[in-house]
Amino acid sequence: MDFGIDAATRVLLERAREIGEREVRPAGLEADRMGAPLPPDHSYFKRCIERGEGRTRWRGPVGRERPAGPRRTTVQTLLVAEEYAYWDRGIGVANPGVGLPEGNVLAIGTEEQKEHFLTPFLELDRPRWACFGMTEPGAGSDAAAIRTHARKDGDGWVLNGGKCFIGNASRADWILVQATLDPTKGRAAQRAFFVEQGTPGLGGFKIEKKMGLKAYESTSFSLEDCRVPASHLLGGEQRDTSRAGFSTAMRTFNAGRPVIAANAVGIGRAALDEALRFARDEDRLGDPRVRDRLEAMTRKLRMARLLCLRAGWLADREQPNIVEASMSKAMAASLGQEATTLGMELLGSRAARGDHLIEKLYRDVKAMDIVEGTGQVQRVIIARQLVQLPR
Amino acid sequence: MFDLDPGEELALLVETTRSFAAERLTPSLREAEAARCVSPATRAAFEQIGLRGLELPEALGGVGLGPVARVLVNEELGAADPGAALALDGPGPVAGALSALGGEEAVTQALASLPEDGRALLVDLADAKLQVEGGHLQGVVPWVPAERADVVLVLGEEAAWLTTGGYRLEPLRGAGLRAAGSAELVFEKAPVVARFEGRAAVEQARASARLYVGSLLLGVLRGACDFSREYALQRQAFGRPIAHHQALAFLITDMRMAVDGARLLLHDAAWRIEAGLSAAGETAGAFAQTIEAAATIGPAGVQILGGHGFMQDYPVEKAMREARALSSWLGGLDAAREDAGRALLAHAGPVPLSAGER
Repeated sequence: MDFGIDAATRVLLERAREIGEREVRPAGLEADRMGAPLPPDHSYFKRCIERGEGRTRWRGPVGRERPAGPRRTTVQTLLVAEEYAYWDRGIGVANPGVGLPEGNVLAIGTEEQKEHFLTPFLELDRPRWACFGMTEPGAGSDAAAIRTHARKDGDGWVLNGGKCFIGNASRADWILVQATLDPTKGRAAQRAFFVEQGTPGLGGFKIEKKMGLKAYESTSFSLEDCRVPASHLLGGEQRDTSRAGFSTAMRTFNAGRPVIAANAVGIGRAALDEALRFARDEDRLGDPRVRDRLEAMTRKLRMARLLCLRAGWLADREQPNIVEASMSKAMAASLGQEATTLGMELLGSRAARGDHLIEKLYRDVKAMDIVEGTGQVQRVIIARQLVQLPR
Repeated sequence: MFDLDPGEELALLVETTRSFAAERLTPSLREAEAARCVSPATRAAFEQIGLRGLELPEALGGVGLGPVARVLVNEELGAADPGAALALDGPGPVAGALSALGGEEAVTQALASLPEDGRALLVDLADAKLQVEGGHLQGVVPWVPAERADVVLVLGEEAAWLTTGGYRLEPLRGAGLRAAGSAELVFEKAPVVARFEGRAAVEQARASARLYVGSLLLGVLRGACDFSREYALQRQAFGRPIAHHQALAFLITDMRMAVDGARLLLHDAAWRIEAGLSAAGETAGAFAQTIEAAATIGPAGVQILGGHGFMQDYPVEKAMREARALSSWLGGLDAAREDAGRALLAHAGPVPLSAGER
């Protein structure tokens, strides 16, 4: 048993801390003050790719692979995700790169698809993005309910429907769009399609106005008789067997929810540090009510972090972590909210001015209990495992 | 780097303890509660597998294990019968506390002559109205989970005192942990036979004791969760198992989350002590979190069983009482929060959250 953090991970965290303080927080605050995402040509993104950020994990075409770099463990990924979120969670999503669809493409994509869609992300010549289009106005956590439809038409596919809350969609080179071949058949009838920016029928981009996390765009768009070639079906026509394997893996192992949980811990920790600083500056630490609340929040965030790391540790050992991943998400998201609320309460009427970092964190963190499945959905997932709650 | 695997040796110890608890403690928990003691056969089995005084040096018949082993073992014992666990483990939390205060020498001096069925008691000044004057202890401890005491260790703020006589135990009915006995402890000019000085050492001793009690409490909570979950899967209402009504499914889920979270905090704190890191704040926080979890899980376990839960035919009412009794020990929640809060404010700069952060 070991709860320590090794030297290599400390180096990663120190680097994240340094970039976070110098780059990430100022960029996040700038976007929040503007009330809009940083534009794609913002110098922040140029500096990101100068630092080598945004590169794909794909190693290149078969036979011409670049050397494998050091691979981060899930535990390391979670700790770094927490540290970046400490400085600003929104900017983390806005950073250039393939982002969410990378795992799907690496797991299911054909070699041709990887070469075509990931090659530009091997070495970024400019800030580039990709994104994953799943959510629809009528289908959030219930992903089986999506209505965007795909119809085979000759040697291609025709997509119709619309997506919402899609991160980085208007600036993405391509969007991996989840669509159904038959809405009555749930997840089994769903497929994913690469839709490149500029494809006729892809349009109506609308960047939503959000309560928080303003640094990245959450965008709705429409697909109207949007035609893509057959080669843009993720995994190709023959991919059903490989997808079955992927789905099975996803049912027992989850790395996404603990990342959101780690983000929530990071935001909560930022709020706690600010609250402690404020209470110290205002000479309020002598008040036992204030101290007790800070104490409780500290241990609860510590607990949330440990729950995240446990889920990541299981993932690293390739052990089932469905319950643990959902627990980390359910617990951390609500505790992150609690930490920012505590900060707001300590600030008193100053919180209502709207110009304190804690006020921003209070708005930002709410999304952590919504994305990747709400706290209620996490409890449903856990209950299915613990008491076989029927679907 | 972060690793929750206890290792082969400790995993075997946990398995052995679990088997002992299932075979010896669970079947007779009501008998032990009524008799206010454990049977000689159970005591003999406990001794035989080496669970008594895990922390004691080999010279005293122990195996010299550390806090991580202690929390793992106590969870298993607590899940079955925490009162019996206290009755069986004569040195109890005193062994670890003495080790923090005076090392192996202090442990040997105080516990070498402890009889097999003897008990060493740990008292926190926060629980008592005691005076220490002229080398004597005077005053009353309202409750201790014991009816005999061969050795008593009293923890103050900056000092600790050991006594072996000059006190009496007045038996009480007791709210919980009756298998360990229950008494009021009255000091009547009890002579101090050893005195330990230093805030840091006392803090460490208290941390060790909190881990001991907190991990027993964790076991109680896990036991209540497991039992009520099993029951909810069997019991039908409105045409389906009550566990399949979302209100109860979510309650069971939240109970499990609280147990898992508290366990991680306790393990983190135990690891810190074993790694030689400061742990007073972390241990106090872990104890506080476990007590807060107990405040909801104890009653919730009863609630899931409804009317049956209120009856003594099922163990959940016992778990609710035991959880409360353990939560009251060592100054309970308020003292733990006081210490955790103090430790937090003593730290300048960002709040340290990770065990790995020094």
